[in-house]
Amino acid sequence: MSEPSQPLLEARDVSKTVRGPEGRLDILAGVSLAVHAGESFAIVGASGSGKTTLLGLLAGLDVPSAGSIHLGGHALEAMDEEARADLRRRMVGFVFQSFHLLPALTAEENVMLPLELEGRDDARARAHEALEAVGLGARRRHHPAQLSGGEQQRVAIARAYVHGPHVLFADEPTGNLDQRTGRHVADLLFALNRDHRTTLVLVTHDATLAARCSRGVELIEGRLAAPAVAP
Amino acid sequence: MKLLRLALRTLRREWHLAELRTLAASLLLAVVALGVVATLASRVERGLLASAAELIGGDAGLSAPQALPQAYADEARRRELAVTRSARFPSVAFAGERGQLLDVDAVDRAWPLRGVLELAAHGSSTIGHGPAPGTVYLDHRALVALGLAVGQRVQVGGQQLTIAAELVREPDGGELVAMAPRAVMNLADAQRAGLLGVGSRAGHQLLVAGAPAAVDGWLAWAKAHPLPQGARLVTTEQTQERMRSAFDRAGAFLRLTALLSALLAGVAIALAAQRYARRKTPEIALLRALGTARGRVIGLLVATLAALAVPMALLGVLLALGVAEGAWRLAGTQLVHVPTTLPLLPALGAAAMGLAVLAGFALPPLARLAEVPPVAVFRASMVRRMRRVDTLYLVPALVALALIWSQSGSAKLAGILAASLLGVAVVAALLALLLLWLARRIAPGAHPALRLGLAALARRRALSTVQATALSLGLVALLLLAVVAPALLDGWRRELPADTPNWFALNLQDDQRADFTQRLQQLGARELNMLPLAMGKLTSINGTPVDRLHFADPRAKDWVDRQLRLSWTGTLPPSNRVIAGQWVGAQPPRAEVSIDTMWRDMFGLKLGDRMRFDVGEGTLDATVASVRQVDWSSFRVNFFLLLDPAHASGLPHTWLASFYLPRGHAEALAQLSRDYGNLSLVDVDALLDRVREIVGQVGGAVRWVLAFSLLAGALVLAAALATSAAERRHEAALLRTLGARRGQLRLAAACEFALLGLIAGLTSALGAAGAGWWLGRAVFRLDGFMPPLAPLAGAALLSAVVIMLLGLAGTRRVTRTSPMRLLREQ
Repeated sequence: MSEPSQPLLEARDVSKTVRGPEGRLDILAGVSLAVHAGESFAIVGASGSGKTTLLGLLAGLDVPSAGSIHLGGHALEAMDEEARADLRRRMVGFVFQSFHLLPALTAEENVMLPLELEGRDDARARAHEALEAVGLGARRRHHPAQLSGGEQQRVAIARAYVHGPHVLFADEPTGNLDQRTGRHVADLLFALNRDHRTTLVLVTHDATLAARCSRGVELIEGRLAAPAVAP
Repeated sequence: MKLLRLALRTLRREWHLAELRTLAASLLLAVVALGVVATLASRVERGLLASAAELIGGDAGLSAPQALPQAYADEARRRELAVTRSARFPSVAFAGERGQLLDVDAVDRAWPLRGVLELAAHGSSTIGHGPAPGTVYLDHRALVALGLAVGQRVQVGGQQLTIAAELVREPDGGELVAMAPRAVMNLADAQRAGLLGVGSRAGHQLLVAGAPAAVDGWLAWAKAHPLPQGARLVTTEQTQERMRSAFDRAGAFLRLTALLSALLAGVAIALAAQRYARRKTPEIALLRALGTARGRVIGLLVATLAALAVPMALLGVLLALGVAEGAWRLAGTQLVHVPTTLPLLPALGAAAMGLAVLAGFALPPLARLAEVPPVAVFRASMVRRMRRVDTLYLVPALVALALIWSQSGSAKLAGILAASLLGVAVVAALLALLLLWLARRIAPGAHPALRLGLAALARRRALSTVQATALSLGLVALLLLAVVAPALLDGWRRELPADTPNWFALNLQDDQRADFTQRLQQLGARELNMLPLAMGKLTSINGTPVDRLHFADPRAKDWVDRQLRLSWTGTLPPSNRVIAGQWVGAQPPRAEVSIDTMWRDMFGLKLGDRMRFDVGEGTLDATVASVRQVDWSSFRVNFFLLLDPAHASGLPHTWLASFYLPRGHAEALAQLSRDYGNLSLVDVDALLDRVREIVGQVGGAVRWVLAFSLLAGALVLAAALATSAAERRHEAALLRTLGARRGQLRLAAACEFALLGLIAGLTSALGAAGAGWWLGRAVFRLDGFMPPLAPLAGAALLSAVVIMLLGLAGTRRVTRTSPMRLLREQ
């Protein structure tokens, strides 16, 4: 756990380059930012601006081509994939645009997954609690195909929170939902951020959603523009 | 045309899809496996027929009680066939004081055209042809009986001949009852000595050999003309009954192998098609939403599949022919020496069957695509869920049944196999469900990674059950072939037990029986069995003389002309089974006869028919009381006609004794033969050796075919594991994102596949044991056959380990999936 004065998450001069069919492609170039514990932080930008790539790097799903990223005091680029997986399990939760629930599992079993990875015996009870918290206690035996888009995303949020992560990454969490449902899901995310002091980093192109965050940055063609939201 | 072009374009675009490649590979594999097996089976069968030719000494021929007209030889030569003539007759040979009745083959220098004439002289053995004029070959028994050695002279038919070599083995038509020791002399010598003239007891033979088409042509020509009196055609198919039974069993083994390969291919195709259909669902929904008619969607799908299948099937044919040719060359040393040409038809038939399998097994999932509603473009869940009972799923079952029937050629074998496979499928599904239920019960207390693996398996219940069932079916086929088939083969080999009677004594008189029995017992003979033997003729049936009766079966006439061997006993002999009527018993009120099935069919006899036999000076009228099924491969003394002892024992008769005597008693037996001058001793050992040798050859051939089926099975296994690969990759990416370590994923996968393997291994071992037990009894008639349980259990465990390792190898890439994949899949 970092000191209050220290950022929980920090990127310094981060670049990401890939080789494509037409040669070298710079997806991100010279991105620096810092997010403190308990903050809600938005990354906004047009499609193809590099938002998702940046989110993947910040969450330790990938490593930068240059620069460094610290999460909870750990330099991610210095860690191998196994160590990063460990760190993710302890500190990180995810919410995706297309929910990414396993279709063969019930809502409850989907929520149990992170706890099972930790080998916890109380996985089922805690998953039940988490589902109750997002208002889906009664639907815990339903499979994803039997749930609406909003309900699926609420299950995904329960899964993201169930093991008490320090930081929650959300990639366009309302992108696949209608306005009203999207607003409810966003309310849920911010309520959890507020109640549990879980840091929230979200990628969105929805200006309204970004505006609800305490701070944020805008990406334009892989580079940081002016802060999107004033601190 | 437009549709075809669109289909080709679709295929080009989709060729990178793993499931489409799997589909293509499965079809290719199916055609190659079916084609290789069918081509090899066809060649092996031809090779075995050639083996039969070796026994006859030629590819076909004609035998008659008198010399055969020159026209037959001329016609054969006109067709560029080799021709040989021979005659067989009994003759007494003399050497000094000693005389011995011999079975003499008088042959020309070209004899034999097929098979091997093995000779021994001065300590070395050679392969030879008919003896030169003035020389003779004698077998060991004749040499011992006459007290002669190679190089000495013997008198046959009044001529002094030099013994050029000892006769070790000759093509003898697989005759069991060789009446006496054997000799082979020159045909011209026999003619000069007047041994073949009018009134002689010689049987004449003309044999031909050459290209199969020319032989068939000659046979057709011979059949088209009236045969000389008493003549009959000799073909490879008409070799001795027990030989034919051996070939039939070999054929059943080969067909079984081909059949199981086909079904394995079907399983692979079904799995790949299911995966392809799943992938195509959103695309079809989109096409339908954009206004494409259902018929056109299906047309495009069928055209795409056809564009894929036809070239693959043709490639399969080429590969099958290549592999079959290579395998034949490699196996050639194990098989017969007669070369056969590469047959094309079986491979083309395999391509047709492969396409049928593709159509049949791919149909249910692909046809389901026709029902994808346009609205599914919005929600995947709107695709109609699979119905539990669906007539479409009868299609692969029907295709499988048709394949089983066409390949087995026997409704009984087809029924047993279909029932076994269905049984295995049901048991596999039930066992899988049970074990998955157990896994769910033990999961909460297990190690976290283990629990994750078990939970994953238990949660993917439907898929796990389908996979376990498919793997079980594949494995049961492999186990049947790898473990049960060799055991059946061994059982079949053992069916001729070591103490099978290896000597027959003919012509024993009533007053010699007691003394002869005592002498044999002193020599250490076992399994002594004596039956009376009377020689007679069938003279009338139901009061009508047989020469006034017309029989549809040409063999009947032949039997009517012959002296028949009649015997009687109060107890049903072993290897005989009454299939109609009542066994005659010892004391029926009137004379009764029991006939074997061949006689029933040949003469159209039924229970209650009256048969009159002339035996010596007397006659006997007997009523048909029962029909017997005789196992002619048992090497016991068997008779087509068995009378009741109460009425037959008064007929003039001698005794026929069969017994087992370990080798190394030739001298003692020769003495016995001299002491009982009237006695003919027959050595069955030589023939038994020949049968064992042929069984060995068949075994070698089956093993070769088996190797290809095993390969097919292993590849199908890989295809089955690939079906869930995409889902696994997605799952792995998610678990990695949530922080799962690679080791956790690997351990979870290991647990999952080990359990899957255990279910499949256990089920298939049970299935193979059951099917093997059933096949052994019902088809191969091996009473008391017990499938090898320990090797089956071992194989089941090994299967579990192999499936686990294969699963781990197949999911190695999955555990390395980058978690970024999830974000990219948005």
